[in-house]
Amino acid sequence: METLSDPVLLSRIQFAVTAIFHMLWPLVTVGVSLFLIVVEVLWLVTRDVDYYRHTNFWTKLFLLNFTIGVVSGIPLEFEFGTNWAPFSNLAGEFFGNILGFEGAMAFMLEAGFLGIMLTGRTRVTPAIHLFSTCMVALGASLSVFWIMVANSWMQTPAGGHLEQARFQVDDYSAAIFNPGMPESVAHMWVACVETSIFVVGGISAWYILQGRNTEFFLKSFKVVLLAAVLIAPLQLFLGDTQGREVFTSQPAKGAAIEAHWETNPPGSGAAWNILAWPNKEAQNNDWALQVPDVLSLLATSHPDGQVLGLKEFPAEDRPPMLPLIFYAFRIMAGIGFALFGLVLWTLWAWSKGRLAPERAAGNRLLLRAWMISIPLGYLATECGWIVREVGRQPWIVYGLLRTRDAASTLPAENVAASLAVFVALYLMLLIVFLVLAVQIVRKGPDLTLTPVQRVGLYRSSRGGQDVQDGDIYRGE
Amino acid sequence: MENEIHAILANLWFFIIALILILYIVLDGFDLGVGILSLLTRNEDRRAVMMSSLGGVWDANETWLVVLAGAVFGAFPAVYAAVLHALYVPVMAMLFGLILRGAALELRSQANNKTPWSLAFGVGSLLAAVTQGLALGTLLEGVPLEGGVFVGGAWGWLTPYAVLWSFAVLAAYTLFGAAYLIIKTEGRLQKFSRRLAKASSVLLVFVGLIVIPLTLSLHPHVAQRWAEIPLIYFLIVLLALAFYMLLDSLRKGRELSPFFWSVTIFLSVAGIMALSHYPYVIPAAITIQDAAASSKTLVFMLIGIGMLLPVMLIYNSYQYLVFRGKVRLGRHKVTEQA
Repeated sequence: METLSDPVLLSRIQFAVTAIFHMLWPLVTVGVSLFLIVVEVLWLVTRDVDYYRHTNFWTKLFLLNFTIGVVSGIPLEFEFGTNWAPFSNLAGEFFGNILGFEGAMAFMLEAGFLGIMLTGRTRVTPAIHLFSTCMVALGASLSVFWIMVANSWMQTPAGGHLEQARFQVDDYSAAIFNPGMPESVAHMWVACVETSIFVVGGISAWYILQGRNTEFFLKSFKVVLLAAVLIAPLQLFLGDTQGREVFTSQPAKGAAIEAHWETNPPGSGAAWNILAWPNKEAQNNDWALQVPDVLSLLATSHPDGQVLGLKEFPAEDRPPMLPLIFYAFRIMAGIGFALFGLVLWTLWAWSKGRLAPERAAGNRLLLRAWMISIPLGYLATECGWIVREVGRQPWIVYGLLRTRDAASTLPAENVAASLAVFVALYLMLLIVFLVLAVQIVRKGPDLTLTPVQRVGLYRSSRGGQDVQDGDIYRGE
Repeated sequence: MENEIHAILANLWFFIIALILILYIVLDGFDLGVGILSLLTRNEDRRAVMMSSLGGVWDANETWLVVLAGAVFGAFPAVYAAVLHALYVPVMAMLFGLILRGAALELRSQANNKTPWSLAFGVGSLLAAVTQGLALGTLLEGVPLEGGVFVGGAWGWLTPYAVLWSFAVLAAYTLFGAAYLIIKTEGRLQKFSRRLAKASSVLLVFVGLIVIPLTLSLHPHVAQRWAEIPLIYFLIVLLALAFYMLLDSLRKGRELSPFFWSVTIFLSVAGIMALSHYPYVIPAAITIQDAAASSKTLVFMLIGIGMLLPVMLIYNSYQYLVFRGKVRLGRHKVTEQA
């Protein structure tokens, strides 16, 4: 096979595999850590012990998820050096710097307080425990911020110039607040929150549907539902904003997303392809289902605004794999609207009193819909990333460095071997995660749990640490 | 003037990165060391205690590696690119090791069958330590560069010198691990850890006696340094003293001193190495100032990361304070001490 002998392609596949796999975990780390703050505050304010039990229950799933996120994240940073040495050389001053910020600010904060959040209840005061939970959540969100700064700089590089094939930063604030940054940070952060909402909501819905601990899980269900009322429409708005930004700063990507080949003549609107099959060789769509003028509206807010078509760009500057970009975008946007619809439906059911404990399990269709949405946030986010990264090709840093010039010279067999090990390890981790997560959910929350008293830290100079084998993190 | 400021900034960043590297080697060193040592016992309860002793801290320890990589990436981009490119195979193997042991450490507590996870934890730790040693050895031997770009082969890191260094790192990590376990455990496991600490230090002395003359013959500039800088001999005396004190503290059954003297041994070696190779980041190939990013970047990083270092150290220490004390196995305490 030709692919197996091209080290650049192999490096690209390896980065795609490791990034797509890693992306699954921070999505929930970011959102569920915020959810954990909410339930912990609810516990401290209302003294309703159910909320205490909620923190305990969701922390177990959080830890499982967090672990795989941590171990799968480290390779990404190193791959820039191992597989993309010329890129690291060109972009390191800014890009490496930003990754360093992420490590120093975000990961250290998370790692520093995670242990206390997980097992520190017996050792610190409730206030310090809450503070630790907040720091873990802050760390997770800061990491979204810095990683999106770094990535959006690859999309819309700014704030410096090339000198001897290295990007020299002239203005750090311009480089950090590069044109695409605010939109991408917001869109990604809200994606994390929205995915987590439907994970927590979907799992709660499963229990409610089973009639298991209905009242208990209606509490978590309503917490995330209230958040979803804000988040789901916000994400649609942010997606639309981001879309316009793409048409401004990366018009070739915008045209690829919409399979738009010909620039619309002045005075006429560009038609929007609802569905189509773009054909690179024919430089046209094999077939298309169109609505007139809508693309101009979407991209420019004017019915006859000019939208550059793919043909405006030399063939070597056009993104590859057009159908992938086109459909990944539609899956993402479709899921965004579907989840918004589900929120409206649930609100309607709530207003009709159908979420009362004795009637809740009766909403079979609604609860099933929530369960089905557990994977949808993940799917939408991964599709969004595919649009973002494949759509930026053939560039690794848009307009500055082409992907094919950015790869390390490596023997294909070495990259193929590391790729194979990554695939095997990650498949194993995914299976183990699913098995253990199902175990935790099947077992359910411990409803006999009572809040523990602080006994450890300041009681004696040799506090000691008693652990139960197999129960290391459930000593609370 | 501008050039001098750049030289100062570059040296400052070299110093900060050295500090982060030292923190990483000590902290993740004992972490990986405990993992390697867990392979030497078949008793699942002992392994549980060993792994639990890392429960609250392993994630932060490993995060120093992420900070280290980010700092080198930003402050010395050319070094980051060239070194990681040259070390493709060992770095990938290290990553696999770290994935395996990190996942195993956390997932073991939730799994029903503990043994495979304990094994994955030990083997992953061993793999990470050995490959880090190989990487360090390759770096110290010198990496073939042309115009700052790596031009060697994909297996160029597999040399006797690098293999020797990987033994040195292995011995140092197990020494740190055993010394940490002496602090965190009691009873038979503590005695076991003392024996392991002794064995590790013997191995370390043995490897050291081969590595030092080999280094002097491999790098003429190092031999010249040794002839010029008396401080190096002071550090060698300190090294010998620390070894003596380490063995003495083990004999006397002290709990905290073995860790202290192990770290002193490492710091003396690190000092000798730094004096031997300064101002090269990659020996005999790239100097600190050649490899450093622009002054603007170095200043910006200083504000962002440099200022955060003390803060990170504070909450890292707080974490050790919260999780201080001996680790005991609640349910199985009787079996372990019987």
